[in-house]
Amino acid sequence: MKLGIVKETRPLERRVAASPQVVAKWKKAGFDVAIERGAGEAASYPDAQYEAAGAVVVDRAEAWQADLVLKLRPPTVDGATCEADAMRDGATLVSYIFPAQDQALVDALAKKKLNVLAMDCVPRISRAQKMDALSSMANISGYRAVIEAANKFGSFFTGQFTAAGKVPPAKVLIIGAGVAGLAALGAAKGLGAIVRAFDVRAAAEEQVKSLGGEFLTITLKESGEGQGGYAKEMSKEFLDAEYALFRAQAKECDIVITTALIPGRPAPKLWLQDMVELMKPGSVVVDMAAEQGGNCEVTKPGETIVHHGVHVIGFTDLASRMAHVASDMYGTNLWHLLEEMGGAAHHKVDEANDAVRPALILSAGDKKWPPPKPPEPSPSAKPAVVAVAAPPAPAKPAAKPAPKKSHGHGPAAEPPSKASAVILSVLGLLGAIAFVYFRFGNGATDHPIEASSAKLFQHVAVFVMAVFIGFQVVWNVAPALHTPLMSVTNAISGIIVVGGLLAGADKLELPVWVAVAATLFATINIAGGFLVTRRMLAMFRK
Amino acid sequence: MQDTVQTLISNVAFLVAGVLFIMALRGLSSQETARRGNVYGIIGMLIAIAATLSMTGDRTQPVAFAAIGGGAVIGAVMAARVGMTSMPELVALLHSFVGLAAVLVGLSMQLAHKENALAHRIDVYIDVMIGAITTTGSILAFLKLRGSVSGKPMLLPARHLLNLSMLTGIVVLGALYGMDGETWALLAAAGIACVLGVHLVAAIGGADMPVVVSMLNSYSGWTAAAAGFMLDNDLLIITGALVGSSGAILSYIMCKAMNRSIFAVIFGGFGAAPPKADKSKPAPPAGDVQEMTADDLAEKLSTSKTVIIVPGYGMAVARAQHAVREMSQVLRDKGVDVKFAIHPVAGRLPGHMNVLLAEANVPYDIVLEMDEVNPDMPSTDVVIVIGANDIVNPAAEDDPTSPIAGMPVIQVWKAGLVIVNKRSRGAGYAGIDNPLFYKPVTKMLFGDAKDAIEKVVAALKAL
Repeated sequence: MKLGIVKETRPLERRVAASPQVVAKWKKAGFDVAIERGAGEAASYPDAQYEAAGAVVVDRAEAWQADLVLKLRPPTVDGATCEADAMRDGATLVSYIFPAQDQALVDALAKKKLNVLAMDCVPRISRAQKMDALSSMANISGYRAVIEAANKFGSFFTGQFTAAGKVPPAKVLIIGAGVAGLAALGAAKGLGAIVRAFDVRAAAEEQVKSLGGEFLTITLKESGEGQGGYAKEMSKEFLDAEYALFRAQAKECDIVITTALIPGRPAPKLWLQDMVELMKPGSVVVDMAAEQGGNCEVTKPGETIVHHGVHVIGFTDLASRMAHVASDMYGTNLWHLLEEMGGAAHHKVDEANDAVRPALILSAGDKKWPPPKPPEPSPSAKPAVVAVAAPPAPAKPAAKPAPKKSHGHGPAAEPPSKASAVILSVLGLLGAIAFVYFRFGNGATDHPIEASSAKLFQHVAVFVMAVFIGFQVVWNVAPALHTPLMSVTNAISGIIVVGGLLAGADKLELPVWVAVAATLFATINIAGGFLVTRRMLAMFRK
Repeated sequence: MQDTVQTLISNVAFLVAGVLFIMALRGLSSQETARRGNVYGIIGMLIAIAATLSMTGDRTQPVAFAAIGGGAVIGAVMAARVGMTSMPELVALLHSFVGLAAVLVGLSMQLAHKENALAHRIDVYIDVMIGAITTTGSILAFLKLRGSVSGKPMLLPARHLLNLSMLTGIVVLGALYGMDGETWALLAAAGIACVLGVHLVAAIGGADMPVVVSMLNSYSGWTAAAAGFMLDNDLLIITGALVGSSGAILSYIMCKAMNRSIFAVIFGGFGAAPPKADKSKPAPPAGDVQEMTADDLAEKLSTSKTVIIVPGYGMAVARAQHAVREMSQVLRDKGVDVKFAIHPVAGRLPGHMNVLLAEANVPYDIVLEMDEVNPDMPSTDVVIVIGANDIVNPAAEDDPTSPIAGMPVIQVWKAGLVIVNKRSRGAGYAGIDNPLFYKPVTKMLFGDAKDAIEKVVAALKAL
């Protein structure tokens, strides 16, 4: 099986799909590797190194003719022609595709009957982390964002006390604590700055703190509960609160790094023009979302501008600026993907493999995207390391009251129970009607303990109320307390002792003896239940 | 006049008792208030008994006092003697006492008032039926938990038909009893209900036992409520309904935790021989397990940063909770971040593991639930599984033909290293093989949980 590594053609792109180290691993695993002449030049990997690793350096056309073409950026489409037209029919292409944004590209590839795997569609499940190129690139970009900021920033990151005076440490604000944000946090912290990170997801707090950052967030507990248009109302309030927080930070912070992206949509505007103007002259904003329009209102994608004395960096090629390491990491992601697909010997696209299936865009020209929803998203499907550029724009999701997750631990009960539930409810209802009918209709008045209809009604009402209270009270019990709770309810159900006592208050004949026995058993239960509960509870301590 | 005042006072007392019971349940829903909740329950019960005695006045037989005193002593002794590991059995046994008491009360009413009207007969009948089912069902649950009877579900060929015909029998006899008020009909029906109780519980087994115990708890509440209708007593109705509904909810919560339908649990059959698909497949995970010695484990642990301990029923059986606590303590002293992960249905009772760990003085803030630890698994260095099997079985997620497919499990296999302590190579309580044992990240530490962990502790201290 022959792998072809082609040169990236997009402007500003210095990376290449694999480093010589990765090529050596492929050779060892049994792949043949052909690389386009000069493909690694911009990433400081000369052709000689690839040759030393076992690759054959070939012309562009030949590299594109391989069984498996490896690339980083999506092939370019120009009118009716596509870069990938150089491929053989039925060959396989692995690169970024972004199928949601670029339908024309997918159509062009389909014409060639290609198999296409998109590195940007690798699922975010733990098992697929090793293949997650978006995360590895985001990591690099986050680091580079800090370096670019330091380049423009006219002071130290770390605080200094020198004979020539005191320099306070730089204050860095990172908006969005995803992979890129966390990488930036780590880099800035390493340079000695005071770092704060903002994220709308509470889960990010722990990750931010673990890297030594200070976590900023908004809590909107008191906000307009129970009104119509809940989500919308809340989202506006939320944004206002968020902007207020940012304005306060703008006056203090020297460096702001924004990383907020929503897949397939323009980046949310979070750092408004007036915030830039609030910042001290000489401060730096690095907008990592510049390619998608930018989080900052004044960002010019691809450029660095100065607005009111503040540098606003809008580079769209941050990862490419570290092409050397980026190429190696991307190549390693590719290596893991090919291993996952069976290596050199058993290479095939296994549609049952849930780590590979979502990345499959075309199979011999047949459209396979979007992938079918996994049958039951297990908790594991949630990414441990969260999305590239983190927070889903605070505007909407943050405000949603998460209606479904009422209390359950797992997915909801399965549907087949519904039929039986309906049957049982109907039976129960019939039973209840029959009960009431007979109790009312027949001799309710000659009930020995003078039960009138009114009294029965009262009993039923009391019964229903108590059932309801029981539901309410137990709903939120902590699982750790299930056993004590059960044991205390058990003790309380010993209340049947009242029945025993009432029935047993009479002449000492057979019925009374039976009632006395009932009293005995009920009391065993009461004493046993309460004492066991006490013993158990005595053991719980912090 | 005297009577009216008397009734008023006891009604107020009943109301107070009812409120105290509600507060007891409420209190039991969080760690901070749990002990107070239990005290409320005790006070409520004392008030209820006192009020009842004041109602019956001098008609109360001295022998009834003897029964109360004797019952209290017996119950106290049972509660004081029981080991924390056999708690589930005791709770099940106590349920059967409530059921039995309800049956006896109903019987006593029947014997005393044979000439009763239909309305009254309905109440008696319902009380006795639920009571009988609770009694025998609980006794069987007790025997199963104790291990006197196999925990495997017993599945008769036409069990649904059998249930249905027994139910029909009960209804027919009920109609007969309703018309004539004959004691024999009541007794015969009670007999059928007893068999039904046994049959219902016999069909349920394996990991569903905690749900069964909780269901029986709920039944014992309903039977008390039925007795309340029979005796025209609101306190019985309130309390019975409280217990009944809270037990039902608890069962429901547990079923959700296992991703199982509550009806499927009630009608039984879980934990039976796995579907045949299992056999047609070439026993997939067959392979070799890798063993690890206690010394190696100690060394590995002392160099780890994060360790999660997943206890299961095996820890309870071996009474290893103190050794486990000591191990966690030694590790924490060395600066290792140790946490415990509890699956909602670990053990034989809901919350069983929490109780055992609490007994061993493990602080409850490092004891976490499944949902809290699963996201941390990939960043965990070592997971130690002690006597747990089904709750860490990856087949629940990977293998749709597995009998436990879809049940949420603790994803231990995502950690850097998994140590599984087991007595032997046998399958879990549900009788399912566990592919976890054959995974490359898994190492086995065979042996009794207590001995094995004590060895690890000794090795850790020697380091």
